[in-house]
Amino acid sequence: MTGARRKGSAAAQFARWGFDEPARAGSLAADPALAGLADADADENGLLRAIGRTADPDVALLGLVRLLEAADGPGHLGRDAHRVDELREVLGSDGPRRARLLAVLGASAALGDHLQRHPGHWARAADAGLWDAQSRSDDLVRAVSPQVRGDRSGADALRVAYRAHLLEIAALDLSCDDPTLTLPQTSEALADLAGAALEAALSVARQEHPEEAAITRLAVIALGKCGGRELNYVSDVDVVFVAEPPGDAPEGGGGDGSGSSGAAPSRASETDEAATVAAATTLATTLMRTCSASTAEGTLWPVDPALRPEGKQGPLVRTVESHERYYRRWAKTWEFQALLKARTAAGDREVGAAYLDAIRPFIWSAVERENFVEDVQAMRRRVEDNVPSRESERQIKLGVGGLRDVEFTVQLLQLVHGRTDPSLRSGTTLVGLAALAHGGYVAREDAVELDHAYRLLRTLEHRIQLYKLRRTHLMPTDAADLRRIGRSVGYRSEPGEEVIAAWRAQKVEVRRLHQRLFYRPLLSAAAKLTADEARLTPEAARARLLALGFRDPAGALRHLEALTSGTNRTAAIQRTLLPVMLGWFADESDPDYGLLTFRKLSDSLGSTHWYLKMLRDEGRAAERLAHVLARSKYAADLLMQAPESVQILAEESGLVPRTREEVLTTMRAAVRRKDDAPAAMSAARVIRRQELFRIALADLVDAIDDDAVARALTDVTEALLEVALYIATKKVSLDRDDGVSADIALIGLGRLGGAECGYASDADVVVVHRPAAGVDERAATEFVTAVVHELRRLVGSPGPDPSMEVDLDLRPEGKAGPVSRTIEGYRAYYDRWSATWEAQALLRARGVAGDAELRREFEALVDPIRHPSRGLSAAALTEIRRLKARMESERLPRGADPKTHFKLGRGGLSDVEWTIQLLQLQHAHEVPALATTGTMSALHAAAEAKLIEPADAAVLEEAWRLASGVRNAAVLYRVRGAESLPDDVRDADGIHRILGGGAGRGWELGERYRRVARRARAVTEHLFYGHDPAAPHTDPPTGARRGGGARRGVGR
Amino acid sequence: MDRQQEYVLRTVEERDIRFIRLWFTDVLGTLKSVAVAPAELEPAFEEGLGFDGSAIEGYTRITESDMLVLPDPGTFQVLPWRGSPPGTGRMFSDILLPDGSPSPGDPRHVLKRALKVAGDMGFSFYTHPEIEFFLFRKPVVPGEQPVPVDDAGYFDHVAQGDGHDFRRHAISMLEAMGISVEFSHHESAPGQQEIDLRYADALSTADNIMTFRTVIKEVALQQDCFASFMPKPLSGHPGSGMHTHLSLFEGDQNAFYEAGGRYQLSKVARQFIAGLMHHGPEIVAVTNQWVNSYKRLWGGAEAPAHVSWGHNNGSAMVRVPMYKPQKENSSRIEVRTLDAACNPYLAFAVLLRAGLKGIEEEYVLPEETEDDVWRLTNAERHALGIRALPASLSEAIDIMERSELVADVLGEHVFEVFLRNKRQEWADYRAQVTPFELTHLLPRL
Repeated sequence: MTGARRKGSAAAQFARWGFDEPARAGSLAADPALAGLADADADENGLLRAIGRTADPDVALLGLVRLLEAADGPGHLGRDAHRVDELREVLGSDGPRRARLLAVLGASAALGDHLQRHPGHWARAADAGLWDAQSRSDDLVRAVSPQVRGDRSGADALRVAYRAHLLEIAALDLSCDDPTLTLPQTSEALADLAGAALEAALSVARQEHPEEAAITRLAVIALGKCGGRELNYVSDVDVVFVAEPPGDAPEGGGGDGSGSSGAAPSRASETDEAATVAAATTLATTLMRTCSASTAEGTLWPVDPALRPEGKQGPLVRTVESHERYYRRWAKTWEFQALLKARTAAGDREVGAAYLDAIRPFIWSAVERENFVEDVQAMRRRVEDNVPSRESERQIKLGVGGLRDVEFTVQLLQLVHGRTDPSLRSGTTLVGLAALAHGGYVAREDAVELDHAYRLLRTLEHRIQLYKLRRTHLMPTDAADLRRIGRSVGYRSEPGEEVIAAWRAQKVEVRRLHQRLFYRPLLSAAAKLTADEARLTPEAARARLLALGFRDPAGALRHLEALTSGTNRTAAIQRTLLPVMLGWFADESDPDYGLLTFRKLSDSLGSTHWYLKMLRDEGRAAERLAHVLARSKYAADLLMQAPESVQILAEESGLVPRTREEVLTTMRAAVRRKDDAPAAMSAARVIRRQELFRIALADLVDAIDDDAVARALTDVTEALLEVALYIATKKVSLDRDDGVSADIALIGLGRLGGAECGYASDADVVVVHRPAAGVDERAATEFVTAVVHELRRLVGSPGPDPSMEVDLDLRPEGKAGPVSRTIEGYRAYYDRWSATWEAQALLRARGVAGDAELRREFEALVDPIRHPSRGLSAAALTEIRRLKARMESERLPRGADPKTHFKLGRGGLSDVEWTIQLLQLQHAHEVPALATTGTMSALHAAAEAKLIEPADAAVLEEAWRLASGVRNAAVLYRVRGAESLPDDVRDADGIHRILGGGAGRGWELGERYRRVARRARAVTEHLFYGHDPAAPHTDPPTGARRGGGARRGVGR
Repeated sequence: MDRQQEYVLRTVEERDIRFIRLWFTDVLGTLKSVAVAPAELEPAFEEGLGFDGSAIEGYTRITESDMLVLPDPGTFQVLPWRGSPPGTGRMFSDILLPDGSPSPGDPRHVLKRALKVAGDMGFSFYTHPEIEFFLFRKPVVPGEQPVPVDDAGYFDHVAQGDGHDFRRHAISMLEAMGISVEFSHHESAPGQQEIDLRYADALSTADNIMTFRTVIKEVALQQDCFASFMPKPLSGHPGSGMHTHLSLFEGDQNAFYEAGGRYQLSKVARQFIAGLMHHGPEIVAVTNQWVNSYKRLWGGAEAPAHVSWGHNNGSAMVRVPMYKPQKENSSRIEVRTLDAACNPYLAFAVLLRAGLKGIEEEYVLPEETEDDVWRLTNAERHALGIRALPASLSEAIDIMERSELVADVLGEHVFEVFLRNKRQEWADYRAQVTPFELTHLLPRL
């Protein structure tokens, strides 16, 4: 009974001490190995309590038992060699030596395993001390020397000695009160240890290859965290290898360029160099293998040389001069970011110094390189995007608010400002950050906060990696793991929850600080804020704005000053908003215009309370506004004319285009409030402007797809025509004081008829009327002609919205024909004259405004013409082909490039449309779905009916959508009436971005367009012209272009 | 100003160089040169030298006619044939658009892009050309039969031969330009020479071929004869090709080598050859770009007119040379279609991408051909699945026009320009009334 009771109380005791599995702990404590040390009843020497204070008491206790068993057990060197008596003595009394040993055992199962294999190393943990870099290196090199390592291989000897040092570093790290305070020392020690290991591995390589070692001087340059002396416990070590022939030290950069670095090296020196590089490659390969191979003693870490010039494809070793050549010509911005941390870690110091001298000038002038801005934007996106979504929530390193985010921010600011300020050129993140604060480039307070966040994140990363010595950057999910990590950084009551909460808070903080560090100092430069803020000089502000992509930094600073100066509420809110908005402007093609329009907008709306409230509170409103203003001049200009339209951003359904009926209702209401025609029309056009802005906005933020844009633009056009027809009819009947002499309907053709309008589409219409009862035909025609004239004037004159041309040229007999006809008039005309091209134009005829009955009658009238019951005759087919062939040579404007003209170019819109329309003329009588006015719906119907191969249909659809999309994007960007791919590379870039292309890759647009059009042309030649796709090309090489005006009104 | 640039400026001063030629290449592989005075050199390094590209084949109508020539100081050489000071220097240059991005019409850029595709797959690409050409007596009159400088044959040593002397001069001049020569000898036709360049990465090799053609022409002039790279100048004799050895490296390893593989060829090599064969007909218009090229290809003997490969088979399109034991890094394949009048940048780019396509798509290599393809009957070739290469420039461009691969390699711009130009060449050629017709038809008809 007593035994049972004691056992029960012992378990409770162990639980109180902090053990997670008290029963198992109890039996472990009773292990013979602990006899005389562990006292489960009273714990007089405090050993069990001390174990209970470690991060994971259960792991610590198990590790301790295994250590003691191994130290005293068979197969090892024995009690004396392992100083077992001394170990028991240390464990038996409270003190720093015991604390350090237990701390290691409680935080790292992997180091516990090491102690079991090498029990004598307990003293290294217990007596852990600080080493300088040189003595660490000497110690490891000694350990791998043949005299010391004996029979052990160099690689094994290196691993054992390395872990002994790791034990010391971990012991100091884990036993200190606040690991975030000592984080720099810990990281530095780890980087020094990695450098020492590289040196020792090089020494092993030299032992293996003495001949090679004699003819080369190899330096190992550490980059990344090892280079910055801020390494974590388990990490790839990024290196670059540099070699020079033995003899005089090579010159660094800035030298006079004589000797071996001349442009035409003699053949003798070339041979020397080749031999040297070959020998150094052998050494470097051996070094890498020595570090990364898995041996009986495990592995250290992979040595990663991928940051070298040309990456994995480049030679492993280069000379100083070869590196220099590469960095001058080929290197990318991110490579300079990596080089920022370069440091000689091992090998020949002189060669290393020469290398660093040579590359430094490149690093600090990287900001002047072409594409720096685009590269930085791309890098920033990479930092945020490149995380598998499954892991993003658990990532400590990557992702939003991760360690990489901090490092990136600091490095970028270093690159931008380090060019003129050498004090910023540290390879260590925290040192660099402190220097930035000291120099006034960021606010001191922000720097302190970022410093805290970084230390915490890094410490968590250290703790996670220590447990199994695995290279991971993921927060564990297992409760026991979280508890251990929480306890190891000092959380005691609910360690798992507390550590997660602290981590999440820091992530948010990092994100916020990112913007503040980048953009807020710009504001202080402009607005001269409080003393504690950053003190960015005008020159530094200029450099930073240029780096962000602003082309006119002086102008940008003036806008910032105007927006943020003053003490009123508006300025205060702008000061908080702008740092974030500057980042969004900088993501786009024209940050300057974005900022300028934002300033104008704020000038006119700044005092209205809803405006500021919207920007501050409406979630994405400010973000969308900034992106749109800096991306699209069309949208920005619409907004400038009616700043209050910005409210659309705050409306819940603001980005949902309104239907024809909704727009019409609003327009009619506005029109009714006005007395005369011009005022009424102006009111309707104000509403059109508002709707155009809404559509552009929704289009630019990708809230709606291309089809929805086309539909919405068509709806707005139809509503405007409807209202204009009403106003014109009313005005003319009032003017003539004669009543309404006829009912009128407008029939849309072309894009309007197909409900496929673009931003710059004209309204192609024909007019049909029916004389009112008792009105003679001539009077009715006169009346309608006057109405149509008035209507065209009303919508075509300059007004609040972009004016729109109402084009009547597709009517029968073209410009020579009457403006309008009656149904009977059209019937008579088509009975007599119907030409194939007219049937083709009518394919897209659709009533769009005016008298509903007339619209139906007209459509019924033309159905047999456009969908002929016997398809197309051979003669008609020949006619239509000839017509198009002639058009291709005649209609293209002088000087236009036939490859890139959207509408008339090869593989352009008219190729696709004519091909589809031909299929409609031929088959609509047997395939009812082809009787549609939409180009895409007809194409789909043709594919469905197997009139066209799916692959060909896909080619035509892609070409048509791309040409339509580029034309729309060109209008949004700024180019009015662009009919070909833009000539200017900057314009191409801006348009490409609107279409979703990456920054600085405008040339891709041309490449893509030409490819797609080339394919569409091949399909057109096959399907429209009837060429055999496999037959050789028979066109004459240069088409003789005949001059003279073609008959307008074809194929629109 | 960096060290290379300083070196160039100092050399220009020290060696009393009055003009520096900036070299670049048009779409057809013609060397273009713009000369600058030393004083203009510094600004040219800093921001490039503006010029109007609208008159140069392939640079017209790209986006705008203003272009920048940006000299590469690493390629600076003093032209050796200009003799003692004052001298002339040269640098290869990149062609840029006004915003600093590479011009899509620059053939060097086309090759660089293809090399990047290889790089992304982990490969670097090396080539080694064997360049053949003829030496003719001067004057060479357009329209008249040229006269070779000698009457010797393959590997003949010609005592006091102009050709011998010529090669000695040419080689020392090439070496002075920093181009290493591997091998040189007299070829089988009268007056025909061959000089092999040392293997190097494809971009350097293409640069070297451009230099080579200029040097050979210059030396010939000094020796009072005329050098021509025309593929088939003499109808009764073999034409001039540019057999080119290709190899891919993965880091320091030759990716074509595999111990124990048939002919020590790795899977990569087999797929690469399969790619060259599969796309062979599509790329011929680029590797053999002149009307005259097809007279060499279809001239029999060593020229390949059919898609086949073989081990030491002189009639095959791709030949796998004998493997030399212990030389795994010299594993390579030899493509025998090319002629020396190609644009080396474009030709290397299409060969590389055709081979890479074979690797990407894991094409299966057809059986090797051991027979002399020329000696097989049509029916036998058909039975063996051996396709013919295009018989004329016209056929070649028709096939190329439908090639997505070539469009992708050259880029849409160069693709267009090239096709347009070649179609014009064919139309002009077709418009001729030839001596053949006058000799054979006129008397009879």
